[in-house]
Amino acid sequence: MKSILSNTILILLVRVLLGGLFIVASLDKIVHPDAFAAAVLNYKIIGSTLSMVTATILPWLELLSGLGLILGISPRASAMTITALLTGFTILLAVALARGLDISCGCFTQDPNVDKIGYQKILENCGLILLGIFLLFTHDDAFRFFPSFRKKPDQPTNS
Amino acid sequence: MNRKSSREAFFLIVLAGVMGFTYTLVTKQGFFSEKKPSLQTTAPNLELIPLTKAREFFESRTALFIDSRHEFDYMRGHIRHAINLALNEYTLHRTRLDGIQKDTVLIIYCDGTECNSSIDLAAKLMESGFSNVKVFFGGWQEWKSADLPAEQ
Repeated sequence: MKSILSNTILILLVRVLLGGLFIVASLDKIVHPDAFAAAVLNYKIIGSTLSMVTATILPWLELLSGLGLILGISPRASAMTITALLTGFTILLAVALARGLDISCGCFTQDPNVDKIGYQKILENCGLILLGIFLLFTHDDAFRFFPSFRKKPDQPTNS
Repeated sequence: MNRKSSREAFFLIVLAGVMGFTYTLVTKQGFFSEKKPSLQTTAPNLELIPLTKAREFFESRTALFIDSRHEFDYMRGHIRHAINLALNEYTLHRTRLDGIQKDTVLIIYCDGTECNSSIDLAAKLMESGFSNVKVFFGGWQEWKSADLPAEQ
């Protein structure tokens, strides 16, 4: 188990995969924030003002976290953010499906006619969450392309 | 995970907020857009009809009901005499409307108020030349609750 968590090639692969996915997912949302706000509103959990705030911040958070993973800028914090986003979204998907919503996912494109939500999406997200959790527990912060961001290793907490 | 990572994650959220609000302020989109977001539809001028009106059309037999849900849901129950034209299979099955006059009243419905496929299908039908398309927004759930004629 320890060797998997220290395997730099595997860690890099997972980082590029997860980071790349989030960068791609963020682009259409950044370009079309109004459409993304409508997609968020379609989940019928929050109102229009909050959906606007979500559509304003979330795509950039996805982009920054994705870049962070790939470029090695705070990769663990990026993995933490991505895992939290994925977990929240998966819960939202499950609630939407349980309520019988027939809506577009709003994940990679803001076209309301494609990428509908479904149980397959939940399974995909669970796989991605596992990758995120894997990154949280890795022992290696390899391939930091900006060494100046590297700080001393974390001190173990005494909690 | 640990305090440093949590701090950095918080910094990421703040930075994303700054970038997002700056971008939308400059481009006048999203939060700074003049229009409020609305549920996604592709046909803003579409007529949405309530249950009473849908029932009138049904009883007078002056409209064709179209069920835009998946075939599986349609098979489990639908408004009597309604035909199935699932939104995601529109291209494949639109020939089901061959022979129907373009001015026929078409009433599209999906599961209920929480689905949009009826609106999206109605938009496609309007684009393809049907001039009298309406959406029964209460959909199958409202019809079933009112115990109106249905079939499997």
